[in-house]
Parts: sequence; C-alpha cells; structure tokens
Amino acid sequence: MAESLTSRPTLAAADAQQAHAHIDADTNTGISNTKLGMWLFLASECLLFGGLITTYLLYKHPLEGPTPHEIFDIPFTSTSSFVLLMSSLTMVLAVSAIERGEHQRMRVWIGATAALGATFIAGQIYEFTVFVREGLGFTTSRFSSAFYTLTGFHGIHVTIGIIMLVSLVLLSLRGKIPEHRAETVEIVGLYWHFVDVVWVVIFAVVYLIPS
Amino acid sequence: MQRLPKIVRVLAVISFTLVVVLFAALIVNSFQNAGKPLTTLTPQGPSSESIQKLLVPVTSIAAVVFVGVLGAALLISWKFRERKDSDPDEFPEQVHGKTALEIGWTILPALILAGIAVGTVMTLINLNREEPNSINVQVAGQQWWWQYKYDVNNDGNFDGPEDITTATEMVIPAGRPIQVTTTSNDVIHSFWIPGLNGKRDAVPGLRNPLKLQADEPGIFRGQCTEFCGLSHANMRMLVRAVSTSDYDAWVKNQLKDHAADPTDPTALAGKKVWQALCAQCHVIDGINDVKMKETKPPLVSGVAPDLTHLMTRGTFAGSIFNLYEPVGSDGSPLPMGDVAAAGDPGAALTGGKVNTATVNRVTLEAWLRNAPALKPMYPQGGRGMPNLNLTEEQIDQLVAFLETLN
Amino acid sequence: MALTEDRPLALPSGGSDDGYTPTGVFTRPTAETGARSWFTTVDHKKIGIMYGAAAIFFLIIGGSEALLIRMQLWAPRGTLLSANLYNQVYTMHGTTMVFLVVMPIGAAFANYLIPLQIGARDVAFPRINAFSFWAFLFGGVFINSSWLLGGGADGGWFMYAPNSGVIFSPTHGIDFWNLGLIITGIASLTGAVNLIVTVLNMRAPGMTLMRMPIFTWMALVSQFLLLFAIPVLTSAQVLLMLDRGFHANFFNVSKGANPLLWEHLFWIFGHPEVYLMILPAFGLVSDILPTFARKPIFGYPFIVFSGIAIGFMGWGVWAHHMFVSGIGPISVTTFSLTTMFIAVPTGVKILNWTATMWGGKLKFSSPMLFSIGLVTMFTIGGLSGVMHSVAPMDSQQTDTYFIVAHFHYVLFGGAFFGFMGGFYFYWPKAFGYMLNESLGKANFWLMLLGFNLTFAPMHVLGLQGMSRRIYTYDPGYGFEFWNKVATIGAFTLASSVALFVVNIFYSKVKAKNLPPVGPDPWDGRTIEWMVPSPTPAYNFDPIPTVTRVDDFWYRKYGETKDGKLVRIASTAEVAQQRTDGKGIHLPSPSYWPLVLAFGLPIAAYGLIFSLWLALVGAIIVVGAIYGWVMEPPDDPDKAHDDHGPDAHASDGGDAVVADPVDAVKEVETVG
Repeated sequence: MAESLTSRPTLAAADAQQAHAHIDADTNTGISNTKLGMWLFLASECLLFGGLITTYLLYKHPLEGPTPHEIFDIPFTSTSSFVLLMSSLTMVLAVSAIERGEHQRMRVWIGATAALGATFIAGQIYEFTVFVREGLGFTTSRFSSAFYTLTGFHGIHVTIGIIMLVSLVLLSLRGKIPEHRAETVEIVGLYWHFVDVVWVVIFAVVYLIPS
Repeated sequence: MQRLPKIVRVLAVISFTLVVVLFAALIVNSFQNAGKPLTTLTPQGPSSESIQKLLVPVTSIAAVVFVGVLGAALLISWKFRERKDSDPDEFPEQVHGKTALEIGWTILPALILAGIAVGTVMTLINLNREEPNSINVQVAGQQWWWQYKYDVNNDGNFDGPEDITTATEMVIPAGRPIQVTTTSNDVIHSFWIPGLNGKRDAVPGLRNPLKLQADEPGIFRGQCTEFCGLSHANMRMLVRAVSTSDYDAWVKNQLKDHAADPTDPTALAGKKVWQALCAQCHVIDGINDVKMKETKPPLVSGVAPDLTHLMTRGTFAGSIFNLYEPVGSDGSPLPMGDVAAAGDPGAALTGGKVNTATVNRVTLEAWLRNAPALKPMYPQGGRGMPNLNLTEEQIDQLVAFLETLN
Repeated sequence: MALTEDRPLALPSGGSDDGYTPTGVFTRPTAETGARSWFTTVDHKKIGIMYGAAAIFFLIIGGSEALLIRMQLWAPRGTLLSANLYNQVYTMHGTTMVFLVVMPIGAAFANYLIPLQIGARDVAFPRINAFSFWAFLFGGVFINSSWLLGGGADGGWFMYAPNSGVIFSPTHGIDFWNLGLIITGIASLTGAVNLIVTVLNMRAPGMTLMRMPIFTWMALVSQFLLLFAIPVLTSAQVLLMLDRGFHANFFNVSKGANPLLWEHLFWIFGHPEVYLMILPAFGLVSDILPTFARKPIFGYPFIVFSGIAIGFMGWGVWAHHMFVSGIGPISVTTFSLTTMFIAVPTGVKILNWTATMWGGKLKFSSPMLFSIGLVTMFTIGGLSGVMHSVAPMDSQQTDTYFIVAHFHYVLFGGAFFGFMGGFYFYWPKAFGYMLNESLGKANFWLMLLGFNLTFAPMHVLGLQGMSRRIYTYDPGYGFEFWNKVATIGAFTLASSVALFVVNIFYSKVKAKNLPPVGPDPWDGRTIEWMVPSPTPAYNFDPIPTVTRVDDFWYRKYGETKDGKLVRIASTAEVAQQRTDGKGIHLPSPSYWPLVLAFGLPIAAYGLIFSLWLALVGAIIVVGAIYGWVMEPPDDPDKAHDDHGPDAHASDGGDAVVADPVDAVKEVETVG
C-alpha cells in the first residue's frame, strides 16, 4: 500500500477536470439507479416468497379437509399458467417496441400483457371459489392456510403488476413516457418477469411435485 | 493537549477501579455456589458434569483471550500515547498492514476454535447417547406447572393402567438414568434442572429427548426458561432423587387409586365439595379418572394437576409453595422461605401417614381462598385456577380431604 | 435535539425562474429552511439527523422501560410492576431498542455519511429516503401507541408462537407489534435498496470500492443484510397477522402446525439482524481509530473482507438460537460449528484494531475513548458468544441472564459505544460545533462504569441460574446482591446518557463564543472532512476525484517509501470553501413521502380496529402514490442540460424526477 511521496497541490484543479470528464458515465456500474434498485428489490422479494414457499412445503399435508391431490385441477391451472407465461412474451415485445420508439405498438403490447395477467387472475379467483365450494376454506387446515396465502400473495403481486401496466399505458397516452424515459417500461417489465418466474416455481412446488 | 478538569480525572480513576473490582468480585463469586439452588456451576449428575468439563477449559481460554486483548489495549494506550512535549509535526511510522501477520492471526483463532469444536462434538455425542436401563418419563409443560408421566411397565405408552401420572414434582432414583421426553399442552416451555443437565424446550406437538441422572439423593430445583406467558416466573420444577428402595415404594404407592371414603366427617364433606367444584378440572384416580378421560376439562391445555397423591409432594402450585413446613418466617402465605429445605413430605412420600401437624395449612388455605391472588393466572381464559369463592367451612373441609391424599 | 437550521442552503429550486409553472396540488414545496422544511426535506443530511433525533427519543422510552425492569428486580418479589405489565415492558424494551434505537442510529450514520464518504450529492432516491424515515418514525410511534390503546405486546421481542396467538394473548398488543414492525420493515427495506444503489452507483470519480472508507463498507454490508433479512421477518409476520386476524392455521398446533416454523423464520431474520446492528459501529470505529492514532487502519482489505465474511456467515448460524428447541443433534452440531467459526472474522477485526493503535501517536479524545471502549467491551460479548456456540454449554446458559449479559455487551458495549464515538466524532461535521471534551470524557467514564455495573453481574446471575424474562424471583436463590448492583448500574448508565444530552445543549450554548469549527477538526482522513462544517446542502463543490484510501489525508500529507509522513499542504489549502452552490442541481423537497408514510399506520390502525379506517389508510396510500408519480420535477429539463459541471454526477439519477416505478415499488412491499 505504501505509495511514494507525491505532490498533490494541483488536486483541486484535477477534481474539477475529472468531474467534467465524468459526465458521460451516469453511474459507476453503468446500470441506472432505478433499474439497480428494482433488481435489489426483486432480490429481496425472493426471500419473501422463499419464506412462504417453505411454509407451504412444511404444511402441504393437511390433517383434515381436502388434500391437494383431491382438489387440484391440473389441466385448468396449467392453462392459466401458460397464459401468464405468454404475458412475459408480450412484455418483451412491448419493451422492444419502446426501444424502437414505437409508442402505439408499445401500448398495444402492454395492454395485451395486462389482459393476459388479468385472465390469469380471473382464473385464480375462479379456482379459489371452486376450492371453497369443495370444502377448502382458508381456515380449514394447515394446508389450506398455506396454499391460499402463498398463491394469494402471488396474485396480489400480479394485480399490482397489472395496475402498473395500465398506468404505463395511461402515462404513454398522455405523452409522459418520452424516449429518454423508455427505461421505465423495461423496469416494470423486470417486475413482471419476476412475478412470472415466481409463478413457475410456485406452480411446480404446489401443483406438480407429487405429495 | 488541554488539561482535563480534576473532577473528570477523578471520575475516570474511580470508574476504572470500580470496574476492575467488579470483575474480580464476579470471578470470585462465580466460585461461591453454596445456597444457590439453581446454579449451573455445581453439577450433580453425569450430563451436567460433562458440560462442566467443557465449560472450564473454554471459559479459561475466553478469559485468557480477554485479558490479552484488554492488556494489549491498555498497554498500547499507555505506551503510544501522545506525549505533551511531542512535536505536532512528527508522525508515527505509517504501517498499512502486514499480510503474513494477518494471515497468522486469522489462522490462530481458527485453530483454537477447532480444538473447542472437537470437545464440543464429543460432548454432544456423549449427551445424546441413549442409556440402557433408563426410566422413561414424559414431561409436559402447561401454563404454569409441569405434568410427569412415568412409563412404569416400559411399553412405550405413558397412559396405561400400569403407568403413573403426577404433577409438580418428579421423583427419581439416584444413580439411575432417566430418559425424559419433553412436550407441551399449550405454548413453548423449557424444562431445566441445572444441577442435572441443560435445558430442553417443551414444544407443543413435538417430543424432545433429555437425559437426567442424579449422582446422589437430594432435591434439585428448576425454573421454566422459555417465556410462556403471564406466570412464566412462577413455573418451577423440583426433582426429588431418592434411594432405589424408596423409589420402588413410591411407585407402588403412586399406582394405588383413591379407595374408600375418608372416615373423618370433615374430610368426607371435603370430598363432596371436591367432587362438586374441583372435579371439573382436577383428577383423582378412583374418583373421576374414568369420567375425565371421556370429557376434556374446560382448559386451554386440557389438564389440571392430578391430585391423587397430592400429599406425597413437598410443593404445590407449580412448585412455588411448600406443602409442608418450613414456610415464610412470618407464617403468612408466602412462597418458600428457605428454598434449599423444600417442604419434606416425610413418610407420606412412600405411602406412609401424612403428618398433618407439619402441613402448611396457611398457604394451602390461602390458595383455596383465592388462587389468582397468590399467582398471576388467567382463569377467565381457562388458564389457571379460578377463585371459587369458597366459604371458610368449605375450605376447612377441603383441606381435611386433601390431607388424606397420600 | 439541537437541530441546526441555520446552514446556508443551495439555490432556491422549483419556482418560476426556470419558466415552469406547476399546477395545483402537485406543486413541490420550496421551503428549505425553517421548521416546515424538515417535513418535506429530501436532503440525506437532514434525514440522517432526523433518524438520530427520533432514535434518541425512542432511546429515552426504551431506557425508561429498562429502568422499570431494573427497579422491579431490585429485590425479590418486587411489586412495582404486575406480571402482566412487566411482560409488556420487557417486550417493548427489546423491540424499541432493537428496531427503534440501534437500527435507526445505524441508519442515521449511514444516511448522513455514505454520500459524504463516497463523494455524492445525495442518495440515489432522495424521496424514497424521506419516505423511509417517515415510515420508520410512524411505525415506531404506532407500536408505542399501544400503551394508550390497551397495552403493549406481551410475548417478548422474539414473539414465539403459539404464545403470540389470540388465545394466549387476547389483547391487541401483539397486533400493534406485528403491524408496526411490518411498517418499519418497509422503511428498512426501501432504505436498504436506496443506500446500496447509492454506494454502487454514485461514487465520486476514482472512488473504487476498495478505496471506500470502512464505515461505508460496513454500512453497505449491513444494508445487504437488511435487504435479505427483512423480507423473511415480514413473511413470518404476515403469517402471524393472518393467524391472529383471520384464523389461519400457521401456528395452530391442533391443526398440525409446527411452532418451530416461527422460530426458524424469526432467527433467519434475527441473526443477520444482530450483525447488521453491529457492523455500522465497527465501521465507525475503523474510521475513528486511525484518525486518533494518526496512522492508517491496519490491513484495510482484511477489515473489509472480514466484514463481508461476517455478513455471509451470518446467514448460516441462525439455529444457534434454537439449540434446545429440539432441532435434532445433527442440526445442533452443524450450527454449533458454523457459529464457532464466525468468531474468526470478528477476531480478525479486533486484532486489526489493536494493531492500528500499535505504534501510533494516540490522542485520547472522546471518540477515541468510546472506540477503545468498543474494542474491549465488545470482546467480552464476542467471547461469551463463542461460549454459547458450544452447544452443550448453551443448553445451560440459554434463556438465562448470561445471554442477557452477552447481547448487551454486543449491542451496548459494541454497537452503542461505537455510536457514541460516532456522535462525538461527527457532531462538528453535522452541526458546526464541537461537543465539550471534558463532558465527553466524563460521559465515557460514567457510561463505562454504568454499563459494566449493569451487565457484568448478569453473567454470574445467569450462570447461577437466574432465568430470563421473569418478573419476580424468590429469596433463597442467591440472586439478591447482583440484582441490586445491576439496578444501581442501570441508573448510572441512564445518568451517562443524560450527561450526553446535557453536553449537546451545553456545547451549543458555549459554541456561540468560540470560533467556528473548521472543516477538519480532528485532522481527518476521509473526504467528508474536506467539506465545510456544517455540511452545505450540496455536499461537495466540486466533487473530488479520489486516488486512494484515506484520500483527504494524502491531500494533506505525503508518505515516503519507508513510511514517513510529510505534510505537503495545510488543511485550509485542500479543504473546500463554502460556495453559493450555484449551478448545482439538488432534488426538491416533497410532501408525498410524508403523506405516503402517514397512510401506513392509518391502514394498520384500521386492520386492528375497523376495516373502514383501513380503507381510509389505503386511500391515503394510493393517493400519495398518485401524487408522488405525478409530482413535477422542479427542474424538468435542466437536469439533462449542461448547466454546471456537476449536474450529472450529482442528480441522483432519474429518481430526482418523478418516477412511477419507485412509487409502485413501495406499494409492493405493503402488499
């Protein structure tokens, strides 16, 4: 570490020069603050879902009431999962549209993404009502509490994502997403993809892995 | 350097001296464990002794390290302090680090810890080893007392007719290993007899193992150590280690049901009161045990202490009160005055006659008069003994009846 | 708290001079001085100061609770508090001290110092920063409001299930605890994201990671710990909330629930929590010791990497809180070994600090005394920690007063001594006047005495069998003497804290007759000492270019090959002058962080008392997010024009401009 004796009186001048030179690189990492912030937030979300998924795994065998095996309608949920996955594709198309400056096309794809997400949520609500009718209330068993909490928590995330997408469309219509703010769409996209990936994990853990 | 006001310098000296004196006094005091019934530092069973064998070297290493760090800090502070006459433009040698040294003092503590780790693992293996010929006891915590079930016939079931259910006090033969299984009927408690072994949590829905063994006959006290609600502080345990022959006699007596009605008319009236008011929650074998197995009592935990052989115990109410004298010096309904001399049931322990002259009637009556006043409980929530608003006559009758439960 | 409001501030922002006319409700506030400015500020320094002030307010509450506990235990069968009240008081004491005192003091230093130490104008998301503070404050007030609304939580700060269920704790205390900590958790999480992005993205030119001051490093590690630990606690608290409020079965043993689930989730959060509380103090000490030894920190990379190692290893040791819970001998052995070896990086730190002092020219100013106090007192806590890592010994010591002694040596002897050192060290930087040295030294010695009198006897009490969390003990157990000593110690400790508060005001009055304190009162090493004291709103003008560790020191001194130090410039030559800050773009104040944060406790009260009120809270939250998103940037285009050399390095990225993602992200964590 020992550096040789250096003369430093010109440093203040160097500071000023360097600051000018620095203008091009906005951040140290090259990733914008908001995008990095979103990545960190999603990393944190992993742990939140991790806690809930662990809880579900611990409680997936109920002592009473319907078992997962008895009530799950795998073809139905597979279809709605497919719908949600497709929404990631439309999201990618939306981001690519805004990057090319095609606002109208971006709005269409975002609208499609929101619609697919809403279809998934509608499917989830339908599924829940069927389960409740078959005797699986929220308080029925340890399995039911864990199941509704995990999937419901995910559903809330999707819903918030839909609200964000709709807001994007409205903002875009009002011209509030100019070119240099295109990254906003990408960041909402990050969130949306994350919610999709989490669903893949939940779908595998809850519906597919045999008890 | 500006000179400090004298008072600050005096304060520094006083403070430093007092801290040194305090540390010395604490070290000396940790060797004085007589009259401290809950101390962990005078082990009296194989398990606690093996823990002590680990404690002594580990604590010594820790003490040496601390003295080293403290000594170094003080020495360096003294040796390298800025002198009053020093040249303000003179600076110490600018050392940024010495990699070899740092690697050295990364490895050195790792080696010391590796040594401790070996001892730890060996002790853990030792503590978890199953002992042959051990007695199986299930210890169940509930707010705020302990229930003990003995698998006397060793069939793996604690509730057979050949098995014992008792409360508050655990009787064990000295020199023989006891395999305890802890569990709970409501919240998490922790079963801890520091003289015999470390603690083990009593978790509802789980069965956790713990070995106990006393070298010699004696009284071993404990205290619940997992916070369990309102009266956590008043949830104590007492283990009575007795000779093998006494233990056998105790088991034989415990297996007996309450047989005939008491002859004394007061006690007989007391039995009627008991059946009318107490039998909803408490059990006496031969009176309401069959009925209680069918209907769960209205308590959160589902049980109240079994009273079949109440007078064979030296304490009651979660081991906070002596059932026999001595009591508090002023004779008032106090918890145990002298903790070490727990109320001794004497001959009653093994089924002999209850010495009614030494029964701590004052506290027992006060308890029956208004239990929640002596020990904080939530009887309105089904947790703990309620105030039954008994008349003085009923209390006298009840005590007379309870005194027959040997 | 003495909050200086007389600092010159940057250019008036917003307003009409740039031709932008804001509309109606979405006008950004413009006041930058005066009482109102504190409510709308987004300045990291003001927010840092408010964190500190709020933490000291809660310290007085938590400290009073501690004194009540000590008075109750003064003698056997104390009657000051009922069993019920005692359980609430000790629960709230632990909760307050952990979540509302130690964590926010760490946040206070991190907020104030990180941008200054890395050469930034502000944090990455100034409005989110303000939101974090207000959410923390309202969460803390919300938890404490339970005292007036039916009593505090009574399940211990660890809130083990099933004792935390409605059957066993039917009052609302635990609901307040649970929802309040979810709110402060949101605050911590947004704060963590903010500070991590700040450190990773906003360093001055030349400020590489391995040139950062150690405080910034340690704060960075602890923010990462927060980022990953808080959501685990939140998930557990959501389960508890659903159990208590909506009859779910997560901790209902009769439906097959396993109470150890809560213990695992709580301690997966809880142990990293311990390290994230102590690491900022380690950082402060690592910056203070070299300053007063006048030589560099010994082994900068070792200090940094041991901090990172502690951060990583902190995730693999949680079950040492559960050695006696029945997790099985294999788990006990594993966690016993992992816990033991976390002592290695901690030991490295202690030895490096000692080596930093070795051969130095030690000046025993108050910050130095507190730092040496940390080195020695924390060592006791660290060593008793090693003793607990030995699982068989822990089976005797856990849940006794020995543990109480241990973690107070860590959190008070460690974290709090470090914070006290930090207060004395950075007071002139934040407020422009020095704290009185004589009172400071008296403060130190009184605190050292009080601290040891209070907590050292608890080691022996614990080893001799005194259980934790008991509201009473009987005579005959031999607990009387040391409990009396501890109670006397607690009052001594309280008087030392009072002396600190007295010092703040005394020094402020005295400072009027003293020459203004310069930028660099301690002959400091890191670049925060370049800027005038108190720090101007714009921090640096211009942003410095960093060339090495302790950059500011080497602007003053040169070092020869054989380690000799030669002064090459006076402080006055290299320190920055206070400028008018013209041309520096700073984020404008905003109402919305305050409004958004205010909606959270309203919603939480609603969840407890009436769902209609919850709806009101939700409307406030949603409205605030809308307002936040729609809020005009005060300076819509300037940030992207070249109107000053520092505009881009300073503007905190796009966050200064209204950004819907930031706002929605916070709803996320509410959900």
